[in-house]
Amino acid sequence: MIDGTAQHMAQDTARPTGCRIHFAGLLAPGLPAEQRNELAQALRLSPTAAPPCPEDRPAPLVALLTGSEAGTGPDLDALWLPPVAAWIEPPAGTALSEPVIQLAEMLAEAAGNDLYLNLTTATAHDLQLGGRLLAALNARHPLTGDHRDDVELALHEAVSNALVHGNLGVAGMKELSARELERFSRDLGARLADPALAARRIAIAIRIDPAEDNRPLATVEISDEGAGFTPGPRTSTGASGRGLDLIAGISAGLEIEDGGRRIRMRFRL
Amino acid sequence: MDYGIEVRDQEAVIRLRGRLTFNDHAKLRILIGEMGQNKLKRQVLDLSSLEFVDSAGIGMLLIAREEMDRAAKQFVLRGATGQVKRVLTVAQIAKIVPIED
Repeated sequence: MIDGTAQHMAQDTARPTGCRIHFAGLLAPGLPAEQRNELAQALRLSPTAAPPCPEDRPAPLVALLTGSEAGTGPDLDALWLPPVAAWIEPPAGTALSEPVIQLAEMLAEAAGNDLYLNLTTATAHDLQLGGRLLAALNARHPLTGDHRDDVELALHEAVSNALVHGNLGVAGMKELSARELERFSRDLGARLADPALAARRIAIAIRIDPAEDNRPLATVEISDEGAGFTPGPRTSTGASGRGLDLIAGISAGLEIEDGGRRIRMRFRL
Repeated sequence: MDYGIEVRDQEAVIRLRGRLTFNDHAKLRILIGEMGQNKLKRQVLDLSSLEFVDSAGIGMLLIAREEMDRAAKQFVLRGATGQVKRVLTVAQIAKIVPIED
């Protein structure tokens, strides 16, 4: 048992108004079994050792990611397929009650969406999230051909913007020169090595609803903790600056909010 | 992304494989250096085995083109297919860099 307060918090917040997902269990391949079980108990979820077979249509699971999971391979690939519907990195020091409350709050946020992700920049940077999110979407609503490529690109661009320019505050490559590429490379490495910046969060919330023509419409919100930016006329004469234009050309809707810290995109599936 | 360089009589052919994204900045810096160092005037980037490119990848290709221009070398993109061809088209890169099938 971790803490009664945390338990109540989990109970109170995991079933918000507009709840879309009732999580049944928790996977945590990067955590020791004892810690996983403690967290599962505090969050009123069943600890699960491995993803069940999707064909069995099991109840939704949340995966706790720590960044220590294997980089590739079937085990990690399975983590991004149903029944897993949320991917959350526990806040540091999960043996304490406060981080468990934070985790419960993230779980409550996840329950209000169809897919939800909340990771540190350090972990998200290594995961190729565009492809992972595409796999999660594609398993629920199969995408094909150019449309599949487009959705992956838009997800990838939005995630890259949030991590590189948002949370890490690395300026885009304005000049077309090897020196500017070297500057980008150096800044990215230095900012990733800064623990405060690497701990900044990226949150991704996806809701899938029927559109007017009854085709599913995915709304994807990606939020970062950076300084934001002011959307304005975009230039694409340098090496950077094409990402938002690509997203705008691909998505059925694009909005930038919270001073540039949140992007909302819509895609027909 | 990884790559291999084949030096032929008239041109150097650099075949890119995998995914070219913002995360490949270090490899692109090395590749641009290698392209500058070989003596051939024509540098061809073979994209036929490249599966995915993002906007930063496009930007790095444009940096490579600019550096080859400074070194008085011709820079050509060749053989893009699928998602890579589509992004090159949408970003109108053919206006800046010669693209061959």
